[in-house]
Amino acid sequence: MLPPFDLYQPQSLADALQALAENGDMQPLAGATNLVPDLRGKRETCRNFVSLQALDDLRYIKRDGTRVTLGARTTIADILHDHGMETDAPALYAVASIFAGSMVRTAATIGGNICCGSPSADTVPALLTLDAEVTLSSTSAERTVPLDEFYIDYKKSVMRGDELLTSVSWNIPPENSANLSYKLARRKGDAITVTGVAVLIAAQDGVCSRARIALGSVGPTIFRAKAAEAMLTGKALDEDIIEQAARAAADQSSPIDDIRASAGYRLQTAFSLTRRLLTQAWKQLA
Amino acid sequence: MNAPDVSPGSIANVNLRQVGKNKPRNDAPTKVYGKAIYAGDFYMEGMLFAKVLHSDRASANIRSVDVSAAKALTGVHSVLTAADLTACNSVMTDLPGQTGGGTKDTSQPILAADRVRFHGEPIALVAAETYELAQQALDLIVVDYEDTEGVYDPFDSQKPGATIVYSDDNIVSAYKIRKGDTEKGFAEADYVLENTFTSQYQEQAFMEPEAAVAWVDEHEILNIRSSTQVVEHFRAVANALGIPHNRVHLQAPYIGGGFGGKEVMTIEVWLALLAMDTKRPVKLIQTRENSFLSHGPRHPFTFTHKTGVTRDGKITAMKIDITSDAGAYAKLSPYILLYATVGSTGPYRVDNLWVDSTSAATNNLPACAFRGFGTMQANTACEAQMEELAKLIGMDSLELRRKNFIQPGDPNTTGQIIRSSVWSDQCATQALAALGEQPGNSDHLVYGHGIACYQQSYGRIRWMKDTSESWVGLEMDGSLIVRCAVTDIGAGQMSALAQIAAEILGVPMDEVTVYFGDGHVNPLAGTSTASRALYMSGKATELAARAVRDNLLECMARHFEVSPGELDLADSKIFVLDNPERCMSTRDMVKVCAAEGVHRQNLAIFKAPPSEGLDPETGQGEVFPDFTYGAHAAQVSVDIDTGEVTVIKSVGAHDVGQAINLRAVEGQIEGSALMGQGFALSEELILEKGVLQNGSFSEYLIPTSEDVPEIQSIVLESRSGLGPFGSKGIGEPVFAPVAASIVNAVAAAIGTRIYDLPLTPEKVLAAITAKNAS
Amino acid sequence: MSKQKNITVKVNGNAVEFVVPAHRTLLEALRHEGFVEIKCGCEKGDCGACAVLLDGEPVDSCLTLAWHADGREVTTIKGIGQPGKADPLQKAFIETGGAQCGYCTPGMIAAAKSLLKDNPDPSLAEIKRGLSGNLCRCTGYTRIFEAVQLAARELRDEGEAA
Repeated sequence: MLPPFDLYQPQSLADALQALAENGDMQPLAGATNLVPDLRGKRETCRNFVSLQALDDLRYIKRDGTRVTLGARTTIADILHDHGMETDAPALYAVASIFAGSMVRTAATIGGNICCGSPSADTVPALLTLDAEVTLSSTSAERTVPLDEFYIDYKKSVMRGDELLTSVSWNIPPENSANLSYKLARRKGDAITVTGVAVLIAAQDGVCSRARIALGSVGPTIFRAKAAEAMLTGKALDEDIIEQAARAAADQSSPIDDIRASAGYRLQTAFSLTRRLLTQAWKQLA
Repeated sequence: MNAPDVSPGSIANVNLRQVGKNKPRNDAPTKVYGKAIYAGDFYMEGMLFAKVLHSDRASANIRSVDVSAAKALTGVHSVLTAADLTACNSVMTDLPGQTGGGTKDTSQPILAADRVRFHGEPIALVAAETYELAQQALDLIVVDYEDTEGVYDPFDSQKPGATIVYSDDNIVSAYKIRKGDTEKGFAEADYVLENTFTSQYQEQAFMEPEAAVAWVDEHEILNIRSSTQVVEHFRAVANALGIPHNRVHLQAPYIGGGFGGKEVMTIEVWLALLAMDTKRPVKLIQTRENSFLSHGPRHPFTFTHKTGVTRDGKITAMKIDITSDAGAYAKLSPYILLYATVGSTGPYRVDNLWVDSTSAATNNLPACAFRGFGTMQANTACEAQMEELAKLIGMDSLELRRKNFIQPGDPNTTGQIIRSSVWSDQCATQALAALGEQPGNSDHLVYGHGIACYQQSYGRIRWMKDTSESWVGLEMDGSLIVRCAVTDIGAGQMSALAQIAAEILGVPMDEVTVYFGDGHVNPLAGTSTASRALYMSGKATELAARAVRDNLLECMARHFEVSPGELDLADSKIFVLDNPERCMSTRDMVKVCAAEGVHRQNLAIFKAPPSEGLDPETGQGEVFPDFTYGAHAAQVSVDIDTGEVTVIKSVGAHDVGQAINLRAVEGQIEGSALMGQGFALSEELILEKGVLQNGSFSEYLIPTSEDVPEIQSIVLESRSGLGPFGSKGIGEPVFAPVAASIVNAVAAAIGTRIYDLPLTPEKVLAAITAKNAS
Repeated sequence: MSKQKNITVKVNGNAVEFVVPAHRTLLEALRHEGFVEIKCGCEKGDCGACAVLLDGEPVDSCLTLAWHADGREVTTIKGIGQPGKADPLQKAFIETGGAQCGYCTPGMIAAAKSLLKDNPDPSLAEIKRGLSGNLCRCTGYTRIFEAVQLAARELRDEGEAA
């Protein structure tokens, strides 16, 4: 059973934003797949929510040239039902297909997964490899923030209390690119990620033209290993370069011990999985 | 008496029409149509809802419990604490369903009075108009705890100065086996190998949490409908409430899984107390988090094996030290320790044997019954030791096993002579063969095959003088009824009885109605535990059905003017064997027999072979009625970068004596394959200073559909079991070797062994890293 | 604090009305209304025992707020099929032995139904993926997979015959 709370159900985005502007203690609620367990487990203290349920105009997948935009209420199931996503966001599609279980996929939203701020949010590493941007809307303004700059600390983002994340967008990866992910967990189905890695490597004229490495569950936030990325850009990748980059990516991590794994295991696997994905990506492009 | 050995691998040459066939179970339709009413689905007018206050810490004194605010809340009808249980605040948790005759002190407070000894110990009960009000009342109860030093390791708890949790020395139970001459045996060995193996807490994780409704009816009878494996608990409930046994009516509907976790009383007494206090029906469905604390998980065990073996592979001596963590109360720890002691030598003949086993109390969760009941853990350690022995002497491990398998006529661990067939070799050979070729290693995957055998008892400890009763009767229209209080916990206990009665009386199985699970209306069957339901209730049903059949045939022999042996019953007809056109429908037959006053019903009792116990000095004696033998083989891959283990193929090969329902047997093998996989790889309860850290299904990880390997069942039938038609108990036996086979496969794949379960990816990676470093 | 709201949900084709506060889950509300075929296993979306179809899509009713189901259609196992009008999945579960204790079965069949609607010819890997949110402790899933494959074949045959 859940603790009692207030739920405002606006019919328009404007009403939702107005409510957020007027109520400092109010938080948005979409699929509730994290919120309900958190409320029940007394981890969530908010008791005043605004439901995004009726805001159908926040649930869309739009394409405009090479730009893909997802409304914040797009569910994980929506992503899977859009088969274009397999090429427009390969790693995102891959993590979506193993995201929790099918019932949770029906309800969980991309906006919710981004905003929950958990270091083990599965869509975020993949979105980071796509240089995704999020749009934050309030009654007064709308701003776009690179997802890369969205998180500032454990479960803390730049989003203000009166703002709502309304969409996330990215440019589809270039033709000659590989976008891979790996979710390491303690069982194969429906498990909280122990170490999450996503990479995107683009190649042009035999060298790496773009490198993105994103790591989850190995630090207070999900982040891009930029020092490691820099080691790859402009180079023809080989075993040594990949090994060094993977080492650098792991060095950027600051994992903790918890009931699922030790920090040491997370460091070791962050390294070996980054190395594996980079190797596989480069091989795919050869 | 067991039948003589039948040629291995053959399906027995007996004319069975329904038994042994692949038939849908009788309970399947009600479940797939969503019509089955489980204990928590029951509704009664005026019903109240219960909640339980569980201790949030493992070791503390209770200075006070203030329930005044809770009681004052409108809509709250009862708040009970130990202070209210003046007449009796104690239940015996010994021997489910028996009365009296405990082993040491197995009593446990119903509600904690001045001390809590484990995380989750119940302190208060609330009944209110709604669950929400009950929760609000619970939140208003103030418990003043005084934290005390606790002890959280069963070795530490045996040291002087340790916090005393149980009795005066924390020793809950101890056994010893002294057989032959181990000193001589070790002296004669070419190699002596010593290893220690440990295993973890495992949660039963039945999908239906504990649930029950209790009410006092118009006859002032206390009724309880509970998700329980044992309707005989009505006696313990009656004792706790101080009312006569014949005024407590305990029923069990379909149970959403038990696996031993619903074998001792869980919530029945709490609801009984609330129903008696409020004079209203009271319901409780435990939250999953509280369920983790409410029934007792599998015991963690430590086995130290010292084994002497010749270079030819003959085991000359075994010395085994066993310790289990009983947790805060005795519950069934003595029996689980006994099973582990008897099972410590696996399916091998060991003439020189020295075993010391101890179950020590701690402030951890009171561990309790779970499929395998100590034998599984013992077998896992033994089968790991066998692999290490084989490696040491440079022999194929199956070959080593073959040199030491116990055979019919041999004495087992406690000197009991094995009478049934022992098809360990055939089962192991076939299981291993079914794995096929081992795949070649790839860039980050290594592969391994593993095998494990076992000897697992079925039927209860024989000095409990176990019995089961069943009633079989034909109605006037020829329809067949079985009445037996057996509880159906999901393995088809009820349907098997229908299949047996149907076979004997020649009516279609799906037309047999079984009235089951009712402690007063049905003849008592005993517990659905110890892999005994098919054996005991099946035999009782068989006996009752045969008695009815004999009466009918005797009467109809006169009618047909043949001898009874020339008649048979099948397809709802009676017919003359040599001339089947001479026949009559079952319905007409019943009318003829009824007119002559033939008794067309029978209540039969089946008694398991009794014994008088073990010699306390030597540990020798007859413990179990019989044993099941078989093997499990696993093919695994291991990711050398992450330590992830994938079980690719999982093959169970078992001599089940006679399959009553082939599909049900395979279903048990398949379910076991996954449950054993969980025990081997991903399941563990994590306690910190006795407090459970991962009491939910997102942190306690049982295998999902994505973790399922290719599972294969190989069913062999020796017909040498003591059950109906020569069947053996299988629920626990088919589970016994699974984890061991996976553990052995991983050791083969990575070339080193991990001695502590479960084999999490982190542990596997650490072992690989350590091996590479050395 | 807890405002109550009149909620109307169509359950298996019939309108059901009840008055609940915002924090009431669909699982709690519907079981209270007598739809006890919806099972309660964990109340936090880990086990799938409570799965139903909401406007044809599979959801964990324990994670769904009752207010969010207002005006929508719920299908439980009883709406999926009944004796005499059995869904191919139900017939297949009986035939293969996909139900042992049966407690996971209502949620499992809801998830399987949705899986087959989306993907009428699923591979074994796709079936495993589609059911990963439904825990089963008894069967080892093997008969459940077989039942889904059997039902898929029957549905395709029916589809071709139609």
